[in-house]
Amino acid sequence: MSAPLSAYEEIVGSSVTRQIRQIGEKLRGIRIVHVNSTREGGGVAEILGWMIPLMLELGLDASWEVLRGTPRFFEITKSIHNALQGGIVAVNGKDWKIYHDVNAENLETLRGTLSDADIVVVHDPQPAYLLPLCEGRKGKWIWRAHIDVSRPFRPVWKVLRSIVGKYDASIFSMAEFAQPLPHPQFLVPPSIDPLSEKNRDIDATELEAVRGKFGLDPARPLLVQVSRFDRFKDPVGVIAAYKMVRKVAPVQLVLAGGGATDDPEGKAVFDDVTEAAEGDPDIHVLLLPPDAHTTINALQRLADIVLQKSTREGFGLTVTEGMWKGKPVIGGDVGGIRLQVVNHHTGFLVNTPEGAAHRIRYLLHHRERIRSIGETGREFVRENYLLTRHLRDYLTLILAVLQGDGERIIYM
Amino acid sequence: MTPFEIKDCALLVRMSGLPPTTNLRELRDRIASCTENALFHHFCETTLRPTFDNPDYRNDFAVWAKLYLEDRVLAERLGILDPYEFRSLSELRAVTLEILDERLGEVTMIPWVRPGDEFFFLEATTVVFATGERIAHPSALAGAIRRMTNGSVYFHFLEARRRPPLWKDDFTAWLLDGGEVNEPYVRALASIDFYFHGLAHLRDELVHVLGGLEGAV
Repeated sequence: MSAPLSAYEEIVGSSVTRQIRQIGEKLRGIRIVHVNSTREGGGVAEILGWMIPLMLELGLDASWEVLRGTPRFFEITKSIHNALQGGIVAVNGKDWKIYHDVNAENLETLRGTLSDADIVVVHDPQPAYLLPLCEGRKGKWIWRAHIDVSRPFRPVWKVLRSIVGKYDASIFSMAEFAQPLPHPQFLVPPSIDPLSEKNRDIDATELEAVRGKFGLDPARPLLVQVSRFDRFKDPVGVIAAYKMVRKVAPVQLVLAGGGATDDPEGKAVFDDVTEAAEGDPDIHVLLLPPDAHTTINALQRLADIVLQKSTREGFGLTVTEGMWKGKPVIGGDVGGIRLQVVNHHTGFLVNTPEGAAHRIRYLLHHRERIRSIGETGREFVRENYLLTRHLRDYLTLILAVLQGDGERIIYM
Repeated sequence: MTPFEIKDCALLVRMSGLPPTTNLRELRDRIASCTENALFHHFCETTLRPTFDNPDYRNDFAVWAKLYLEDRVLAERLGILDPYEFRSLSELRAVTLEILDERLGEVTMIPWVRPGDEFFFLEATTVVFATGERIAHPSALAGAIRRMTNGSVYFHFLEARRRPPLWKDDFTAWLLDGGEVNEPYVRALASIDFYFHGLAHLRDELVHVLGGLEGAV
């Protein structure tokens, strides 16, 4: 259950909540339906988990519908998902037929809700086929792509484009993730919830408990990278950077991630990381369960420097989380990390383990910069990447889509 | 004098519909054909976008030329352009194209970028909010600006210059409405070299020049 809007006022200020309430006033009574493919687990369900209650609080008639499908359907949509992100994955005519049929079956139960709605937001590819099937719909339909479709496997994108191109608008997280489509394409970056378990303030007792649990030395600087064990997150590169720093400074490293030892690729990366650590007692490789939010939160707060040395990245919400905890972030010069990490202001962008080691040493030699960069980063997140901005963007674009006149300025 | 009504604003950003730009010649062609809203966005609205944080240059084209085309000469020439000096966006476009054409004539190889470093042409809708706050007298202006959000500073002092029929910042327009007695405030505002400030610094500068008049007017 998410917090009410008033709970965020202390964090973002009354000017922000006032903006949201003003747009909410304009949209009062609007019927908006979100459709995705799961009620629990994953980033989309997390977003809808807070967005629906806040929209309801503002007076919108918001609801959330979930597509029901067979295991085979979800295997196919997983393939579509992978193909959109560039994987060479075949989706044949029979698969597309199953994709169509499951959407058609769902439409039978959802038709009334969807055709009467003023706005329908369809998240990701799974329910996208609902639109061409829903004849007689009265509202505007928006396709929300949460994934990077900039370099898709073309045969799959060609089919999906013919479907999502029919929507009235689409939303991407970043310009770099989008594909040309014949309708307005809005850009809405993701956000973090400052009151969630992963980001809420933690008292000293809880922090010390986590420090003690993992045997971290309070007297020595701590470097932390939180991410799943994936080659694109370059955990082995992080260990290489740590080793370069370790020669001259007594640092400790935590590599913490969820992950999937049943995923062959994840298991192989985890084994590589363990091997690269060479039994060094100051390298803590932590395989955490998916609900270890408080532990992750505490580790980020215990860190002196947060690392996210990815070689390929989506938006990079772990960077946002680290900055929100007032830490300088040393991040790979890729994807959404570039939007968040500004050299000397919120952290440093690097391309190699050597670059990361250099920036770590710089910060360890300029301890006052750790504090000042951390403070700048926290304010940067407060201004741009908290869920209140995310909600305001959604409400504004709903208004823009409903007005549909392409005005340069909208007065509330 | 009618009280000054303080507004706030935010941007809703969208793709312009132009393909991504991968080299200097494409940049020239896209700037020639993009909408005025896209041109305005990359020259002026960039200051309100999250990515803005004291870059070397104040417009997106110059930053891209430096960081990704790695053409420092071009970046410096584009970086000095002050969009508010031009009477219209078409004049700004013409001057920008002149700089790009000149550079295309100088280089022996067209500078290009790697995949992932393309320039994306964007445009935005400005959403304007009432804050419910008012300023009754020019002597209260500095104090009110000190408390303003970045969105308010942008809307009243920068964005207003693109609004007909006055084409002036809102503070100056309000002060002129109050007659000659406000002339010192108007002159103080006109003394600010505003385009080369970020919004936080611009707010400080506004407070500084207006605050200096306290007791003098």
